Amino acid sequence: MFSLKKLLFKAGSPEHLPDDVRSAIEAWRSSPAPELDDAHFHVRYLVIDIVSTGLNPDSDELLGIAATAVSQGGMVQPEDAFYLDFASLDGDSAVTMETTAGHRLDRQLMAFLQFAAKAPLVTYHVPYVGGFLQRLYKERLGVNFEPQWVDLAWLLPVMFEEKSHTLLPLDQWLELFGLEAGGVRRDAMANTLMLARLFQMLLVRVTDKDITTAARLIDESRASSFLRRTH
Amino acid sequence: MNTQAEQATMNPLETSLRQEGRRRVAGNTLAFLKNHAPFDKMGAEALQLFADKAQLAFHPAGSEIVGPDAGNVRFFYLIESGKVQARQAGEVTVTEYSILSLGAGESFPIGAVTAGRPSTNTYTAVEDTFCYQLPAEDFLRLMASSPEFNLFCTQYIASLLDQSRRQLQLQFAQRASEQQTLNSPLAGIGSRSPVSVAPETPLRTALEKMSQAGVGSLVIAGEDRQPVGVFTRSDLLDRVVLADLPHDVPISQAMSANPFKLEEHATAYDAMLAMATHGIRHVLVTDAEGKLTGVVSERDLFALQRVGLRQIRQSIEGAHNVEALQHAAADVRQLAFNMLAQGVGAEQLTQFISALNDALTRRVIQLNLDKHNFEGIDWAWLAFGSEGRDEQTFSTDQDNGIVFACPDTAAVDALRQRFLAYALDVNKDLDRCGFPLCKGNIMASNPQWCLTLDEWRDQFSNWIRVPQPEALLNATIFFDFRPLFGKIELAESMRRHLLAQTSSNPMFLRAMAHNALDVEPPLGKIRDFLTDLEPDQPGKIDLKKYGSRIFVDVARIYALATGVHNTNSVQRLRLASKRLSIRDEEINAVLEGLDFIQLLRLQHQYLEGEPGTQGDNLINPDTLNELDRRILKESFRQARKLQTRLKLDYQVN
Repeated sequence: MFSLKKLLFKAGSPEHLPDDVRSAIEAWRSSPAPELDDAHFHVRYLVIDIVSTGLNPDSDELLGIAATAVSQGGMVQPEDAFYLDFASLDGDSAVTMETTAGHRLDRQLMAFLQFAAKAPLVTYHVPYVGGFLQRLYKERLGVNFEPQWVDLAWLLPVMFEEKSHTLLPLDQWLELFGLEAGGVRRDAMANTLMLARLFQMLLVRVTDKDITTAARLIDESRASSFLRRTH
Repeated sequence: MNTQAEQATMNPLETSLRQEGRRRVAGNTLAFLKNHAPFDKMGAEALQLFADKAQLAFHPAGSEIVGPDAGNVRFFYLIESGKVQARQAGEVTVTEYSILSLGAGESFPIGAVTAGRPSTNTYTAVEDTFCYQLPAEDFLRLMASSPEFNLFCTQYIASLLDQSRRQLQLQFAQRASEQQTLNSPLAGIGSRSPVSVAPETPLRTALEKMSQAGVGSLVIAGEDRQPVGVFTRSDLLDRVVLADLPHDVPISQAMSANPFKLEEHATAYDAMLAMATHGIRHVLVTDAEGKLTGVVSERDLFALQRVGLRQIRQSIEGAHNVEALQHAAADVRQLAFNMLAQGVGAEQLTQFISALNDALTRRVIQLNLDKHNFEGIDWAWLAFGSEGRDEQTFSTDQDNGIVFACPDTAAVDALRQRFLAYALDVNKDLDRCGFPLCKGNIMASNPQWCLTLDEWRDQFSNWIRVPQPEALLNATIFFDFRPLFGKIELAESMRRHLLAQTSSNPMFLRAMAHNALDVEPPLGKIRDFLTDLEPDQPGKIDLKKYGSRIFVDVARIYALATGVHNTNSVQRLRLASKRLSIRDEEINAVLEGLDFIQLLRLQHQYLEGEPGTQGDNLINPDTLNELDRRILKESFRQARKLQTRLKLDYQVN
């Protein structure tokens, strides 16, 4: 982890970005955001999970990103998935590697931005996932990573009150939904796929509650976390 | 999902990270697949194809996943978790189940996605359910690339076909038990118009009446139609003859008084019990007011039981008049029906019907010989057409002729007249036994078809030499001849002549082939079936004209071409294909097609026709269940394949 840590906190600033990344960021910034007033059926949601060395975005390190699309009427699409393992940078500690590896990291982060294509992101506990991503994108690419979030941790107790009306650890939700017993070690992608299932069920439930567009779902997510936190 | 253009502009890093993402999503699917048959036995490449392409979808409890209204099935579904209920749509049950529950690892709708048609069943999630759904085109690729998966799907469909067949048998069995059960009310059993006389009728008059009516028992009823007694043949011995009773006393003195009566709604079982308990052989049936409405005899109740093959044979061979044969003919139909219910295939069944009908016909022929004497003359009774091929269904009219030898040419016409008179009697008796007279007058009583051996040979030669349309039509009837009675050698001689002629006349066979290709199986290019081929029967398919006849015609040509002596189409095709080195699988598929069409004809004639009426061969494919429709389509395809082969072999365009 040594070299990665160095990379994340010391090396690389937007001024030193390679040209291809720089122009890619510009292209990404000017690219249109997807239409969110559309019915869920037409929206490409990205379910995402991360791997980190700990729970604190300010002090711990991001190790990987796993994401899969839920689209075309709430289906998990194997052809539209993404997996990034920063640990693959680990190993050589040569100084020259630093810039090369730094460029490589920048390009990897850029690749995720391009893959995400400004789609709404679905995860469990946004402050955790979003915190890691925000810091890294700011530091490495100078990008304010502020996607539209759907937070399952807050939405599930609102939408599935009959199961639990309080915040629960993910494994307990999985158990409540009869999705695989808790306690099993899952890698980031397996976890993402579990989240995807919860989200697939959530999509059906919110549609029943007349939350029929992505924009309204995102609003609902924001409202639920705000209400919960302030009351 | 990204378009190809987008993918083209994608940088290589993004592409590889996407690939890694897909690999891991697929890995998750693979882990599931490896725990479930048939996937656990499939090769890695096939599994990867499934995992790469299958999308995972969620179906909340109570939602329909796929159903008949959803159009052609676009996905193969594999249940990942949850429970799915399959419910048959429509009123006809195709399979053994009407509701079936499917769980994790089970898949659907295999038949529909294979055939690219709408599902017959409605599949509903009964619990929250996740399903992998593989697009139909990938499913078909998987079928093509994985032998294990192919086997699994094929076996599944085969088991459906098997279920469909069993379902068909079940329908027959139900029908059979409805007809036969001892729980059926007496109102429908036995004689509805019993012979009855008033109590004061003189004994002699009553006996005369019994004799005339040919009955063994007599009911004695008053003017109010209330039965007061029964008189049977056994009473005649004890109470009349041995008691020296004068013939002019009233019947009431000889009858058994206080006969046992049951009301109409009592069951056959009640009657049987009463007979056993009281040692009686007849039970009188009355309405609620006690008025006589019928008689049930021990024999009637036995007839309710399964009629046995041997009993029928014995009753045919022991019959001394046409009336007895009429009974036997009814029994033949009943037995054939029972066999159909027991699941006997069409090939065996038609042969069996033919065998018993042969026995019946022979008996009619024999009985009529009492009145006509042909001693010292070599002759044989010939069966033509479907009878000649052993392919009779329930309603087959007569097609017969006579061949006789007459060395003295001057005496031929006189002898022919005698045969014609005799044949007329036989034809009429056969008609009374349920073999309707031939509308086209192809009967032995027609001088055209009552010929000497030489005349038959000439006739055959003429048809073969000059294959005019009429000659070809006749060939399809008369070349399927079979001797039923008399000197078999005459028929054998006809056959040898025929085969020698046809094998030396390729033009004739070619003309036959041309003719046989006139009618094509009713397969549509867009729709499954063409149902407008019969102008006066829109929506229906003539299963004989557009189905079995195609097989029969081709079988005949190949039999004549390869010198096969048999007339039965199945045997002809089997033997001829051996001589032509056609692969067994190929010919078996053809024979199965023929078998299914014949089975459908039998079913249609027996189940849908009113009892006792002539069944037709017209079916409306829309009324068939989905599976039968599919098998029928496949059967027609086999017919087409057979025709294609014929076309190639005889260069007919």
